[in-house]
Amino acid sequence: MARRCFLQIYHTGCIASTVFPAVTRLNPRLGYGHVPRWIHSSAVFCKSKPDSTHLQEIIEHETEKKSKSLVTHDDLFERAARDAKSKASFNRVLDTFNKKDIRRRGHVEFIYAALKKMPEFGVERDITVYNKILDVFPKEVFVPRNFIQRMFNHYPRQQECGVQVLEQMENYGIMPNMETKVLLVQIFGEKSHPMRKYQRIMYWFPKFKNLNPFPVPHELPQDPVDLARFSLTRIANDLDAKITVYQLPSTHITEAGEELSHPHIVGIQSPDQCSLLAKHNPNRPVFVEGPFPLWLKKTCVHYYLLRADPVPPEEQIEEELDPELLGPEQSLFYPQYIDLDLKRDLGDDDSFDVDDVVEGAVYAMCMTGQSDQATLAQWISGLQENNPVLGKVPTVFRLDSGSREMQKVEDIRHDSGQNQYRGTEEEQIIEEEVLHSHGMKR
Amino acid sequence: MAAHSSMNPSLALSACCHFLRPLNAVKSEVMALLKTSSVFQRHLFQPHFVGPVSLSIRTVYERDYRRPGQAPDTRWPWQKIRFDFAKGVEGVKKHFGLLKAEFMERWSGPEGRPLEVHMLEQTRVLWEFRGPESLSQWTVTSDREIGGRSEAYVKLGRNNSTCMLYGSLCSVAPRDGETRYSGYCTMRSKQPLASFDRKKHFDWSNFNTLYLRIRGDGRPWMVNVSAETYFSHQRDDMYSYFLYTRGGPYWQDVKIPFSKFFLSSRGRVQDEQYPLWLDKVNTIGFTLGDKADGPFQLEIDFIAVCNDRAHTEEFAYELYKRNPEVQPRRLAAGA
Repeated sequence: MARRCFLQIYHTGCIASTVFPAVTRLNPRLGYGHVPRWIHSSAVFCKSKPDSTHLQEIIEHETEKKSKSLVTHDDLFERAARDAKSKASFNRVLDTFNKKDIRRRGHVEFIYAALKKMPEFGVERDITVYNKILDVFPKEVFVPRNFIQRMFNHYPRQQECGVQVLEQMENYGIMPNMETKVLLVQIFGEKSHPMRKYQRIMYWFPKFKNLNPFPVPHELPQDPVDLARFSLTRIANDLDAKITVYQLPSTHITEAGEELSHPHIVGIQSPDQCSLLAKHNPNRPVFVEGPFPLWLKKTCVHYYLLRADPVPPEEQIEEELDPELLGPEQSLFYPQYIDLDLKRDLGDDDSFDVDDVVEGAVYAMCMTGQSDQATLAQWISGLQENNPVLGKVPTVFRLDSGSREMQKVEDIRHDSGQNQYRGTEEEQIIEEEVLHSHGMKR
Repeated sequence: MAAHSSMNPSLALSACCHFLRPLNAVKSEVMALLKTSSVFQRHLFQPHFVGPVSLSIRTVYERDYRRPGQAPDTRWPWQKIRFDFAKGVEGVKKHFGLLKAEFMERWSGPEGRPLEVHMLEQTRVLWEFRGPESLSQWTVTSDREIGGRSEAYVKLGRNNSTCMLYGSLCSVAPRDGETRYSGYCTMRSKQPLASFDRKKHFDWSNFNTLYLRIRGDGRPWMVNVSAETYFSHQRDDMYSYFLYTRGGPYWQDVKIPFSKFFLSSRGRVQDEQYPLWLDKVNTIGFTLGDKADGPFQLEIDFIAVCNDRAHTEEFAYELYKRNPEVQPRRLAAGA
């Protein structure tokens, strides 16, 4: 609409001062460099020679150009990706786009393309890059100027695009900063949808930021031993538990010329587990089980357990309290042991009416680089130093190679997943194929 | 939503004011991340389920999600109903049995329990998984419903005393041209029904805390509680909170106060927040959507509610005005 007006102005050669006060001051033949940023008009038109007599030509030229300018903006990124996929090259693409055309034609498409390419360039968690993307929007053009514009969703495509930028930030967990706010106010105004989105993010993000009681750093330690240390302390949930590195990862070449690599073995055991293991009935076996998955954000690590079967009820020994604490010689006024729960009022019973799940005790945990029995046997022999009872107890390896099999099954399903859409029919439950490798230690 | 959102099931923020309708309509249809409403629940695990075909109210008013390439269901509504004599007899038996039980339980006390038990109860175990029949009260779904590739199954744990929810998550969005995000797995309890398929609700108004005994693999989950609503456009309202698992071999006791639950609708956190009304709770669900592709598992021992007397908070979020005035910032004179 506005463009058409503009065209008309040049066509007639007379300038209506009431309609376009900014343009009236300029001589159309001279002042093209000084025309204020005029997003409504075509860039090609403004760049081309202003000649009212050649208007027809210009329009034809413009339509030609239009068909050429349908090139997607992925192309810009792909050209940049050819040399190096980095923040610098990403920024360069943004700069190129900004410099190419003062009117930023096609900026919405460009921003969508940029958002899609961000993970590829590794800048998806960088707030400065998001601000730079928002900077592509022309300023003060989309700000509603009266209440009617404000009511009727002014520039909806551009606002959606702005919301999309913020949503991608949100999905990657990036908190917008003051610069983002200033940009949004400049671009869309105080009460626009992107601004509302910004306000929502700023309301909810800080509330949920530190909610996780078991936080995981964004950058996990690279060293597998450190990673094992971190994960084992996380799952052990015991400050007394002691971490022992039984073997550091190393490779050495034997005399025969073969390369032997020793995987890392990191174990954890708390004093309680140690004393429990000491009380273990030597006639019953202990089991090495695993691997069990543990997810630390997006990485999955596996751990192994040393555990026993649950003790049958006839073998359970009632723990007897130390008679010195209970005997009649205790002072009535200063008893050493009171069987009273002082926290509760009479009639308050906060226990739950459920049967306990009967499970065997866990004696130790470990993480290794290799999941074969020899490595785990090495862990058990390392444990034996502190727990001599392990020398008498038979150890059974219940290693589960099911996880790898499941992965394979999954891959196959992905390949044929396209025509397996009708999911109800295949209601079968895939049982993990547990391949027990029973083997006694020595 | 934490600043590390990969830890959290993704919930997006949205407005519920109708002014945003054009923008929201686009978003809500693409944001199928937490769609766990009853239609989308395919009954993946139904060991002994024989019941009447209950037409969900949604299918009457709204169209279900239609997967690309799937022919539309052109049958008339009555063609979907199975007219079967045996089924009728079974239905009569079941519903009159339920009706009789309903009448009789009043004589022993509210909800079939003696009055003193009802009045003095401090905790209530809602679900414990102690046998195969306990799993029939749950439905398990994944983003297969919208054409995704995640899988979720439920089974009993090692010695048939826990509920093991397992499967694999895959957050590749289906290539249907409109879905942008995918990757969720959900377990949701079934709506309790009284005789003649009347809705029954849980009344948890004596309690203020949800108590779970779980064992996960370190992934964050989301607990969704849906309560009965008055208007039909509130059908997708859900109250959610995060459930973080530690991982490892030990059981984890989780207490979540109901005051912490925030309102979301169709996967979007709402601007206007209201406390959850506990007198008519319909379902509870667990959703995984942390965008980490791979196998997952969650073992649940029991789900209970309790009364935490130390917790006095009524609602954790500010009940803000709906459309707050934006104060025009005044520049300092010197600046």
